[in-house]
Amino acid sequence: MSAPVEAKDVAALGATMRTKHPTRPDPSVAMGEPLLQVRDLRVAYGGIKALKGIDLEVRRGEVVALIGANGAGKTTTLKSIARLLPVASGTITFAGKNLATMTPEALVGAGVSLAPEGRAIFPNLTVLENLELGAYLHRDATAMRETIEDVTRLFPRLGERMKQEGGTLSGGEQQMLAIGRALMARPTMLLLDEPSLGIAPKLVQQIFAAIRAIAAAGVTILVVEQNTKVALSASHRGYVLRTGEIALSGNAKELLQNPEIQKAYLGG
Amino acid sequence: MRVLDALITGLAQGAMIALIALGYTMVYGVLKLINFAHSEIFMMSAFIGLFLITMLGGTEHPLLAGVGGTLMAMVAAALIGMLVERIAYRPLRNRGKSSLVRVTPLVTALGMSVLLQNLAQLMFTARNRSYPQLLTGSLSLGPLSVGTSRVVILLTAVVVMVVLELIVKRTWFGKAMRALSANEEAARLMGINTSRVISATFALGSSLAALGSVLFCLDQSPVHPSLGLVVGTRAFVAAVLGGIGSITGAMLGGLLIGVLGELLKLTSFSGGTDIPAFLVLIVVLLVRPAGLLGSARAEKV
Amino acid sequence: MAEARTVEPSPSHEPWRARLRDLAVVAVVLVLAFVVDQTLDRVIPDSSVRQLLMLAACNVLVALSLNVINGMAGQFSIGHAGFVAIGAYASAITSSRLHERFGAGDPTFAHSFLVVPTSLLVSALCAGLAGLFVGLPSLRLKGDYLAIVTLGFAEIVRLTIGTAQISADETAGHAWSEVHGLGSFFHAISVSIAGLGGQNGYAGPHEKGVPAYAGPFWILGLTFILGVVAWRLKFSGWGRALRALREDEIAAAAVGVDPTRYKVTSFVISSVGAGIAGGLIAMMRDGNPTVQPESYNFQSSFDAITMVILGGSGSVTGAALGGVFVTFSVKLIELVQGTNAVQSLKRSAEWLDLNALRMIVYAAVLIALMVLRPEGLLGERELTLRTIRGWLRARQERRDRKAEDKP
Repeated sequence: MSAPVEAKDVAALGATMRTKHPTRPDPSVAMGEPLLQVRDLRVAYGGIKALKGIDLEVRRGEVVALIGANGAGKTTTLKSIARLLPVASGTITFAGKNLATMTPEALVGAGVSLAPEGRAIFPNLTVLENLELGAYLHRDATAMRETIEDVTRLFPRLGERMKQEGGTLSGGEQQMLAIGRALMARPTMLLLDEPSLGIAPKLVQQIFAAIRAIAAAGVTILVVEQNTKVALSASHRGYVLRTGEIALSGNAKELLQNPEIQKAYLGG
Repeated sequence: MRVLDALITGLAQGAMIALIALGYTMVYGVLKLINFAHSEIFMMSAFIGLFLITMLGGTEHPLLAGVGGTLMAMVAAALIGMLVERIAYRPLRNRGKSSLVRVTPLVTALGMSVLLQNLAQLMFTARNRSYPQLLTGSLSLGPLSVGTSRVVILLTAVVVMVVLELIVKRTWFGKAMRALSANEEAARLMGINTSRVISATFALGSSLAALGSVLFCLDQSPVHPSLGLVVGTRAFVAAVLGGIGSITGAMLGGLLIGVLGELLKLTSFSGGTDIPAFLVLIVVLLVRPAGLLGSARAEKV
Repeated sequence: MAEARTVEPSPSHEPWRARLRDLAVVAVVLVLAFVVDQTLDRVIPDSSVRQLLMLAACNVLVALSLNVINGMAGQFSIGHAGFVAIGAYASAITSSRLHERFGAGDPTFAHSFLVVPTSLLVSALCAGLAGLFVGLPSLRLKGDYLAIVTLGFAEIVRLTIGTAQISADETAGHAWSEVHGLGSFFHAISVSIAGLGGQNGYAGPHEKGVPAYAGPFWILGLTFILGVVAWRLKFSGWGRALRALREDEIAAAAVGVDPTRYKVTSFVISSVGAGIAGGLIAMMRDGNPTVQPESYNFQSSFDAITMVILGGSGSVTGAALGGVFVTFSVKLIELVQGTNAVQSLKRSAEWLDLNALRMIVYAAVLIALMVLRPEGLLGERELTLRTIRGWLRARQERRDRKAEDKP
């Protein structure tokens, strides 16, 4: 899988993935309708305003990239959506539910899974156990077996290392494991925090190919990235964050062509 | 011959110490906190076990009293453990890491320990109470005869440790516990209710301590309120020696402390087992703070 | 940046005027202490009350010294009684030996000027060395682990003294003269330790009791002076560096504060203070002139922790108040326990143990305090006239505001 993955391979792989949750009913949001809506989100770290009113929207079936420089507030946005940070004000709704009052553990049950920044895999548990823990809430044997198969097809390297401890994997492999572990919960929506951070370029290609495949399987994705080019190439739409505010947003292809973005983020 | 005898006694002693040490180690794993109250839970359950065994008929129905009393004492200890966690540790969680509140769990842990010990003093008075002799007689293994109680203790401990290993490795609870001790935030992202897992860990650790305490007292010792201090210290040393946070380490540490303590009795050393235990503790902490089996990990700041 | 600058020890070219003022204060304190010493038995005729007052002062010293390590440095020692014990034994031995040199008899005030400083110097030296010995290797351990080492140290001190026994009528002098190898060296050490009287306690070389040289002059005077020292320490550059270290070790190290050096120094200062306090306690008893290992068990370490935490970790005045409060409550319990009513009640209700009850209440208060107000009653603030005035003013303002809101 070293060569860049062909688009049709990705689509084919995605078509075979099984993503329906064993018990939770499918949210009553049609493809293309808004699934996640963030309105006027404000977050402060002890007096310092990290987010000054963010509005964003992810429609069902979309891949949306949240890009920006270091410290622009990307991870803060994602962490507040994932309920790991307290929200000062603003609303976050997912499929009609208010996320702002949920605990992080309840969020998984609602259908939102996060692959956090820095991977945060369990280093002394085996790869298989890491994956199993992703299915902690539904514990459905069939669904677990199916998703482990799917993850192994997405990331063949993980399949070879099932019995190894998570801590012995390389950074790229750990990122694959983090994404696979999030998929085990059979989420409606996947939040990815800097999946390319500190990973060899070749593996970055693989990981983003997998992200496309997951999207093709019908999972909605919000990805936070510093690697603007890779992220926008894999996305439908994008938001550009600058010092806690949305500076630009729009179609991913148009953003890639935007001279301002090319100058600021693509070294063009 | 005397050495062999001491070895067997030491193994039995060590097995009980290991059962108590497991509680320290498991709680440390999930909370990164030394539960100083654990030894007092051990002492409390020794009293509860004594009352239950007497109530169930004592020597008249040794099997019913022994097994029933032990199991009920384990349940009671689990409840006490969960209560301690609820009162002294849970309110402090998620409080941030400011320097003034960093030592608060230590203070509440110490406070709980002092509270329980004095509560026992008040409720049961300081006098010694003896367990009924349920396990009498001895088995002859080849040339040497071993007390039945020692055999029962060793077998029970081995069975319990195997079951515990299975719980930790195979069950969802065990996996959640290990996930929580590796990375709390990531565990929550898996949907793990960390408060519930912590509570269950306290319950499990405390019930193991109760099992250890009933076996310990059936074998030899009278019960008194400072039992926790005496035996708890040894268990604590065992947990640190094995590498706190490591379950296998706690078992190994317990056996080592038990055997070493018995062998020490053969020498002319008169200072009891506590001074050497504390010395071992300090030396281990200074030379290899992660213990024999613990992995050396840098303290996160 | 301001923090970084204050961390540097400021060059000390204090004007001579300030030095002179300090000297004058010390002199006034000494004169006052002398006056109190000479008149105390007339003002407070009950000797047990006088003893209580002096014990409270000693416990204030215990609390102040523990406050250096637990409050200011943000480390956590739970074995403070170990250092107090070392100080107590050291001064008991020194003072009773000196007392013999003076031909025994009643301790005189004039002799105390030689006996007390010498004994306290030995106490401070021994406790400080022990602090260095414990602190140097263990201060790279953090939080719980350091706590355990200190606990282990205190228990070893107590158990070693308590369990040491001599097989026959052997004297330490004889054993030391026989040293010709490692084995006999250790034997001599154990004989010497056994000479401390084991569980029964140390009562001087001929079991006549430790002479009571430390009168009100010494205890009240030293407590006051050392209290001022603790106060100045907190607000010195050294104290600020220590607090910076407590807040963020890495950041403090980055601006040039050597964490290990500061931690070890604070640990040694803390144990020196504990040693002095222990030394004074050993020399003030008139009723029970022995030093017993059981007085320095875990419970007394816990009492010291209670003193510091009740008042507020890091607050000098808070620790002092805590010391006074704990001493008086312990004494109160003892008095109540001794009354006829309680004694007769105890005959019918065997379980009634007021000391256990006290410990339960303390522990419960500590837990509640940690849950509701983790910084202690005062927090790091100090109780001074200015803060009290500030509180009163704030209260008055609140009342005024309420009064304004009403109409």
